[in-house]
Amino acid sequence: MLSASKGRFTVFLVCFSIPFLLLITMPLGQMLTSSGPQALMRTILDPQVLMALARSLGAALCAALICLIFGTPLAYLLARQRFPGRRVLEGLVDLPIMIPHPVIGIAILSLVGHNHPLGRILSDLGIQLMGTYSGIIVVFTFVGLPFYVNAVKSGFESIPIRLENASRSLGAGITSTFVRITLPLAWRSMVLGMIMCTARAISEFGAIVIVAYHPMTAPVLIYERFTSFGLDYSQPVAVWLILISFCLFILMRFFARSNEVVYA
Amino acid sequence: MLEIENITINLPGFSVQNISLNVGPEDFFALLGPTGSGKSVLLEGITGLIPLSSGRVKIAGKDISGLAPESRKIGLVYQDHALFPHMNVRENILYGVRYHRIPAETCKSRYDMLLQRLKLGDILHRNPTTLSGGEKQRTALARSLMLEPLALLLDEPLSALDQVFRDDIRQLLKRLHTELSIPFVLVSHSFSEVQFLANKGAVIDKGRLRQSGTIENLFQRPNSTFVASFVGMKNIFPCRVSGDNAWVEGIPIQAGNPSPADTHLALRPEDIDVAANNQSVYENNLQGIITELDCQGFCFRVGIQVQNTFFQAFWTRQKVAEHELRPGKEIRIGFSAQAVHTFSEPEV
Repeated sequence: MLSASKGRFTVFLVCFSIPFLLLITMPLGQMLTSSGPQALMRTILDPQVLMALARSLGAALCAALICLIFGTPLAYLLARQRFPGRRVLEGLVDLPIMIPHPVIGIAILSLVGHNHPLGRILSDLGIQLMGTYSGIIVVFTFVGLPFYVNAVKSGFESIPIRLENASRSLGAGITSTFVRITLPLAWRSMVLGMIMCTARAISEFGAIVIVAYHPMTAPVLIYERFTSFGLDYSQPVAVWLILISFCLFILMRFFARSNEVVYA
Repeated sequence: MLEIENITINLPGFSVQNISLNVGPEDFFALLGPTGSGKSVLLEGITGLIPLSSGRVKIAGKDISGLAPESRKIGLVYQDHALFPHMNVRENILYGVRYHRIPAETCKSRYDMLLQRLKLGDILHRNPTTLSGGEKQRTALARSLMLEPLALLLDEPLSALDQVFRDDIRQLLKRLHTELSIPFVLVSHSFSEVQFLANKGAVIDKGRLRQSGTIENLFQRPNSTFVASFVGMKNIFPCRVSGDNAWVEGIPIQAGNPSPADTHLALRPEDIDVAANNQSVYENNLQGIITELDCQGFCFRVGIQVQNTFFQAFWTRQKVAEHELRPGKEIRIGFSAQAVHTFSEPEV
C-alpha cells in the first residue's frame, strides 16, 4: 500500500519534471546535433574560435582567482560575524545577480571612463579597461563574485563553531584556527565557488559587449558570427561553449556531492 | 583555584548576571540549571570565547579576564566532543602542543601516559567519525589534558553517550580529577552523574545564581522553592514553624533544624518510607491513602493523601509488591526529622 502510494507520487514528480527538462534539452540538443563532426572539428581548429574560447576560459579563471583572494575573507565575515548592516552587505553582494547585465557594463564604463577620477587615475597608471583583457576580467569578477561568496559563505556556516572554539581553547589563535581548522574544512566549498564563478563568467555577454567587445570572448564571437554570417556559422562555436560549460557543471556537481564533511 | 568574581555577560536577548564562584583544585564543581539557563554561556565566558561585560576570572591567583582564549590554559570539553574531522586521533590529541612550548621529552611522556590511561593506543590512526561515543570522548579528554590545563571545563560530557560508555567515562573523569588535582567544572542535567562526580555545585536559572555550595546542601537543603523543585524535591509545602514542628495545613511535621522565620518545607520523595504500624524508627509518622501508583521503570512514584496534603514518594518495585500497595489502600508513611528541610523563600 505504502509502496504503491510512493510509486504514484514518483510518477507525479516525473510527469511534472519532463516538460521542464525538455525546455532545456530540446533547444540545446537540436544545436548539438545540427552541427556535424566535420563542422565542429573545423571550428575548433579556427584560430579565432580557439582564441575566443581560451580568452573566455582564461579570463574566467582569473576572475575566480580574484574571488578566491578577496571573496574568501568577505564570505567568512558574513558567515561568522554579527554586525549592524550585515543584511545590507549580503544584499549588496547579491546585487550583480539581479541587475540587468548591460547596466553592469554601463556602470563599469562610467567609473573607469575619463570623466571619473578613478578612470583618470587608472589611465595615469597605464591601466586601460575599455576594450582590453583586463576589462573582461573586471566584468567577469563583477558577475561571478556573488556566486563565489554565497557558496563559500554556506561552506563556512556548515562548520560547527564549536570546532573553532575548541581550537582556540587548545591554544591556537584566530589566524591559526582559520588556517588549520576552517580552511581545510571549507576548501571544497571554495573550489565549488570558483567553478560556479567560472561558469557564470564564461556565459557573460551583456556587460562584456559594452566594456570589451574586442578582444572577443566566445559569447561575443557567437553573436558576431550570427549577426554577420547567420546560424550555421555561429552554431558550432556555441556547441563548443555548451560542452565546456557542461563539463564545468558536471565538475561542480561532483564537488557538491563530496562537500559533505561528517563531523565527529 | 578557579575564581569567578561577579561575572556579567550580556548577549542579545540574554544575560548572565553577577555570578561569583570559587572552585578549588580539590573540587569537582557541577553547574546545574534548566536548559537555556546560561550554564554553557558561563563556561564560554570563563574560557574567553564570549567576552565578559564585567567581572573577573582568576586562575591560580592570576587575573586572566583580559587574556584571549588561547592564552588562558583552560581546557574545554564539549558534549559533542568537537573533534577535528580532518585529523586522525593522534593529530587531534597533539593539536595544541605546538602552541604551548612543551619540551619534547615532557610531551612524549605525557602523550604516552594519556594513551595508556585513556586506552587510546589502538585507535590513534582512525578518523574521529569512525569512533564510538566513548572513544570520541576519551580522545577529546586526552586532547585537553595533553596541554596540562590549569582547569578543565566539561560541557555535558556524558549526555551524548550510551549507558555503557557513560559509566566508563564517569569513572574515568572521577579518577582523572583525583590524579590531576585541578578544578573540574561540569555542566550536567543528570542528578546521578552530579551526585557521583561532584562535591560542590551551583544552580543557575535565567542567568542568575540561585544557590551554590556542597552537593549535599543543594540536594538536601535548597534555599528556595525553585532550587528545591529543580533538584527533585517533590514535596514542597508552605508551612508555619512553631518550636521543632513545621505545620503544613494542620499537620505537625518534625523538622531537622527549623527557624521561626521559615516559610516553606521540602522533603525528598526518596526519603519517605512505609512505616511499620507499631515500631516505626522515624520521628514523623503519618496515616494516609494511596491516590496514585505510577510505574517509572525501576521504581514507582506513589502519591499519598494525608488529610488535605498530597505527598509523593519513590519506592522500589519490591516495596510496592511487599506491601501490596494499590490506589485506595490506607498506608502509614514515615520519614526522619533530618530529611525535612525548612527555609524561607528569598525575594527575587
